[in-house]
Amino acid sequence: MDQLFLILLNASWQMAALALLALGLAIVFGLLRILNMAHGEFVMLGAYSHVITAQFGLPPLMALPVCIVVVGLVALLIERAVVRHFYNRMFDSLLATWALSILMREFVEMIWGRAYRNVPLPVEGMIKLGGVGYPTYRLMVIAFVVIGLAMLWLWYRNSLTGVRIRAVVSNPALARAVGINTTRFAAAAYVIGCVLAGLSGLLLAPMLGVEPSMGLDALIRSFFALVVGGLGTLEGLGIGAAVIGGVQAGLSAALNQTAGYLGVLVLAVIFLWRRPDGLYRRR
Amino acid sequence: MGFIVGASLALLGLLMAVPAVWGDFVTWQLGLFLLYGIAAQGVGLAWGRGGFLPLGNALFFGVSGYASAMILHATDGALVPNLLAIVVCAAILAALAWGLAMLVFQGRLESGPYFSLITLALVLIVEQLAETAQSLTGGFNGYSGYPSIAGLDPFGNLYYLIAGLVVVTTFCLMLLEKLPAGLVLRGLVSQEARLQTLGFATHRVKAWVFALSAFITALAGALFASHQGIVTPQASGFVLSSELLIWAAVGGRLHPLGSLLGAVAIGFLSAELRDTYLWWEVLIAFLFLAVVIAAPGGAIEMLSYLAQKLGWRPHELTVAPNPPPPTRPNNAAGALTLRDVHVSAGEIRILDGLEFTCPTQGFLCVIGPNGAGKTTMLKSITGAMKVERGEVSLGGQTVTNLPQYRALSNGIGRKMQIPTVFEDLSVRENLQLASLANRARAIDYFRVAPLGWEIPELSRLLDQPGVPLRELGDLNAGALPQGHRQMLELCLTLTPAPAIVLLDEPTAGMSPEETALMVRLIKKYQLETKAFVLVIEHDMALVQALDARVLVLHQGRRFAEGSFGEIRSDPRVAEVYTGGNK
Amino acid sequence: MQYETNQPGDRDMTQYKKTAIAGAICAMLSLPASAEVRIGVVIPDSGPSSLFGPASRNVALMAAEDINASGGINGEQVRLFFADVGVPPAQSAQAAVRLWRGEDIDGFAGMHNSAVREALIGQFRGQVPFVYSGVYEGGECAPGTWVTATTPAQQLAPVIPWLVENEGVSRWYMIGNDYNWPRDTNDAARSMIAATGGEIVGEEYVPLGSSDFDASLQRIQASGADAVFITLVGGDSVAFNIGFGAFGLDEQAIRFGTLIEENTLAGIGAAGANRLYSSLGYFANIETEPAKAFAARYASEFGEDASALNALSQSVYDGIMLLAALGNAAGSMDVEAIAKVADGTGYQSPRGKPVLSGTHADQTIYLADGTGAEFTVVAQFDNVEHGVSCE
Repeated sequence: MDQLFLILLNASWQMAALALLALGLAIVFGLLRILNMAHGEFVMLGAYSHVITAQFGLPPLMALPVCIVVVGLVALLIERAVVRHFYNRMFDSLLATWALSILMREFVEMIWGRAYRNVPLPVEGMIKLGGVGYPTYRLMVIAFVVIGLAMLWLWYRNSLTGVRIRAVVSNPALARAVGINTTRFAAAAYVIGCVLAGLSGLLLAPMLGVEPSMGLDALIRSFFALVVGGLGTLEGLGIGAAVIGGVQAGLSAALNQTAGYLGVLVLAVIFLWRRPDGLYRRR
Repeated sequence: MGFIVGASLALLGLLMAVPAVWGDFVTWQLGLFLLYGIAAQGVGLAWGRGGFLPLGNALFFGVSGYASAMILHATDGALVPNLLAIVVCAAILAALAWGLAMLVFQGRLESGPYFSLITLALVLIVEQLAETAQSLTGGFNGYSGYPSIAGLDPFGNLYYLIAGLVVVTTFCLMLLEKLPAGLVLRGLVSQEARLQTLGFATHRVKAWVFALSAFITALAGALFASHQGIVTPQASGFVLSSELLIWAAVGGRLHPLGSLLGAVAIGFLSAELRDTYLWWEVLIAFLFLAVVIAAPGGAIEMLSYLAQKLGWRPHELTVAPNPPPPTRPNNAAGALTLRDVHVSAGEIRILDGLEFTCPTQGFLCVIGPNGAGKTTMLKSITGAMKVERGEVSLGGQTVTNLPQYRALSNGIGRKMQIPTVFEDLSVRENLQLASLANRARAIDYFRVAPLGWEIPELSRLLDQPGVPLRELGDLNAGALPQGHRQMLELCLTLTPAPAIVLLDEPTAGMSPEETALMVRLIKKYQLETKAFVLVIEHDMALVQALDARVLVLHQGRRFAEGSFGEIRSDPRVAEVYTGGNK
Repeated sequence: MQYETNQPGDRDMTQYKKTAIAGAICAMLSLPASAEVRIGVVIPDSGPSSLFGPASRNVALMAAEDINASGGINGEQVRLFFADVGVPPAQSAQAAVRLWRGEDIDGFAGMHNSAVREALIGQFRGQVPFVYSGVYEGGECAPGTWVTATTPAQQLAPVIPWLVENEGVSRWYMIGNDYNWPRDTNDAARSMIAATGGEIVGEEYVPLGSSDFDASLQRIQASGADAVFITLVGGDSVAFNIGFGAFGLDEQAIRFGTLIEENTLAGIGAAGANRLYSSLGYFANIETEPAKAFAARYASEFGEDASALNALSQSVYDGIMLLAALGNAAGSMDVEAIAKVADGTGYQSPRGKPVLSGTHADQTIYLADGTGAEFTVVAQFDNVEHGVSCE
């Protein structure tokens, strides 16, 4: 029984981490139809915020504002210079952001080198949940993700900004005619999506080895989670993360990690083929 | 044609000179990058000519490499069995690629990112399997310890085999561009929907392109095994796939020489400069970015632009006019009937139980206020929109919800509401493409003669005074003004000689003279072919000129039907729809 | 000028650039028949192992200095040429052969992964002496190849009994990445564990590039293992060990790995390194006199900020020293001549006193405890046999 509970906790962690990781990409692709191949590098930048904070001798909690500022500025710069030209060119946006991801990786390598960086857990220790000990920090992140996504969903459904977003997405020309500044909207959406990616890197860094090429793995997992759930909706993100995270955790627990990895890929292929709109159809 | 042969011979000469001028080490180096170049050509073909982006082509490269290595091992490098094995293996991989593309592209109009992500997932799977199946593939350390094909020395004679393959693939790909098949591919990339209404099963076209791409890449992979003496999982990995993409992009994916140039130039320069210039990777990334932003055709496009500035003109293929075969018999014939047709878009119901029967020949004008469902009705007939309930039939035979490309084989031709021509092709090429529709058999796509087919229906249209399309032959269709564009589109629609012609606002945006000309053309066509022509129009003068029965649509249903006079005097119609003269 | 100059305090990259440019200029100016021995040093400057590139280059320069200071090889001064083999095997082979043909290389010293090694050997085909160093799975018997790299047998044979005796462990769980080195290492470990009376309660392999080990950690916990043998590499090793610590499993079991070096340990951090043992041929803070002298000299020549030494980068020094020793013993750099005298040749190394037995080196193995994210050497085993038999 304990073992099963532990499996469930692990699965929850997988799903929460994946949802967090893929959120930024969901926003950028869902709203802007940009295949942001640099998504993983923004995650990596977020993780490096801890390194930057330590380098400047600031207290560790300052990593959060450092992350938002650094990632936000880089995203703004990239949006202005490159991404802006590709709003209706999906393939080209894939290639352009891919080139950017290489550049971002190289710059980080040049500045901080290739060595692994360790980020200490902000909160140590474990909590006992019904006979099973689970790391406190992980539980906090899971809780944060669940609550955060729920609040985001509610806000999107009910706020005026949410309505504006839906307007721009469904009919950009009409939205412009109504007075919504679609250019600023697009820039804001891209920056926010990238900042969210950075935040996910910030939160997940204590669990991973932080080094310049950590982004590729994050990118691939995010893409496949979105593919299953439905590229571009919050509900789809939740479903996709749940399915992919669950399958990977389940197969890894039942068989082995290779089976989990291959299982996710095969699942992604099937979904891409059969239900490319994902499990959640956008109305 | 002479140009292609000349270019290939020049390439051959250049490649042959390398061992003599630069020695066997450079020859060996170049051999590797030529092989990568062939693989890049495969990627360039799929991307530049097929319009879809394969993110995992290295899987064909690596799998073929492993297979070749194993067979070389088993047969100790014997020439004939291995050549055979290489071709067979490449054919098998091409068949698998064909199947994959058919599955993915069927029923889908846009290529979307889905295909790309599928190929990405597949290459990750293959790379992982290659690492895991240690006993079969040697795992991470690679598969080695086999002789090269026919014992050819990678520093010596193997190069000639590679050079030969390069020249063959380049020649074939350049030839393909000039043939009708190449024209079809350019139409595919330019305007897939229009190509479907011309009866081309675009998913099948893409499948063939992907199969050819896989075949070429696999051939290169097989020789890679002999060249390197070792095959590792990286040969079928994501990193190589992405490099192929970058080489094809920077070199120029639209031309086989471009992809080759990209691989050889970047590969070579990387090998030379990587050690001395630390920021080489950054430079390549910037180059890639610059190409994507500013020069999608890559280096080759820039080179040809420069050449044209210096006065060089791309060679135009001239073909003698020759008589075409007849159109293929229609699969279905008879009166077009709609029975209780319901069509929705999302939550909005557009057609709400539409029902009527058309005559087998003559005219029918369909009018109605905006949003009545006129264009949707045409789309539901040709399969562009899904009929949820009800039936569309031709003389008793159901044609409901058939894929769009089947419409023409049932004798249905459609002209779209917004004139949709092949914008990147010249006017002449647009007409050539339409001439192939519904007539060409498979073999005709690989012969030059069909480019000179003179279709009687088309000639009649072009011979009409006031139709300027013959003189505008070299102009890009995208540069045509609206009126000429409508005329071109009408020609595209009528050239395959459909028995049922659906025209959606054929004179929108035309001057009164042009409108009168269009009416003449349409009437002439109907008189000569005894076709049934359905015209959606807003212009009442036109409706009157056609002297046809009129069908009024309102809120997705048949509202009224009768002669022009009857409809004009019907007060209910006046309430619903106030037409007017232009 | 026989060897490239270097200034203390330079950042590694300027160092490298200077070296490269100087080397290039020298190469251009050099006359065809020069009285020097040319050694090709093939190390990863790009790719996953590129981290070790700069330090490898530095120790190579130190090796050239030492060799030339004691008269060179057979009276001729040594000159180094570098090539990057961090790229896929096809391009790595190209880089090495370019050196070989283009610079008339007399001998190669390489530290890189096994796939590249296979590719290089396929090109060299025993026509030029090649010394392979670092850490690997054993079993390389190609002619013309000599190995200073530590083998699983070496890293495990003395250490497993030590751990059993000092930590009292008997239930082993083995986890590694899914490719040759971990699998071959585990094969070697199996019989040794059995010989100590221990049992193997679990064995699993994960794909390269895994980042989530929860399922594996859960299995380890459930198995009741008290020793976990790790053959994960790179970021996988870091993520696994961080998770191990986060779940508090370090109270249940010790961990032991054969490729946990200073960089990986830094990534793991103190919270994840409790009771984490590592068995390698070299650690940067070994307390023996030769090792301390080596480290001090490295710091003074390349500065305190220079890339850190570890078992992989330092091994390049050993490789070049062996190459020189072989050349001197044979009186030439000819493969046949060397093969006749190789067996029994010793070479200079801060690791101790390694000696070739057959084609591989019997050498000293150190066991270090990584608790607190700093290595502390707890045991030293001299003259450990390599266990590779080439017939």
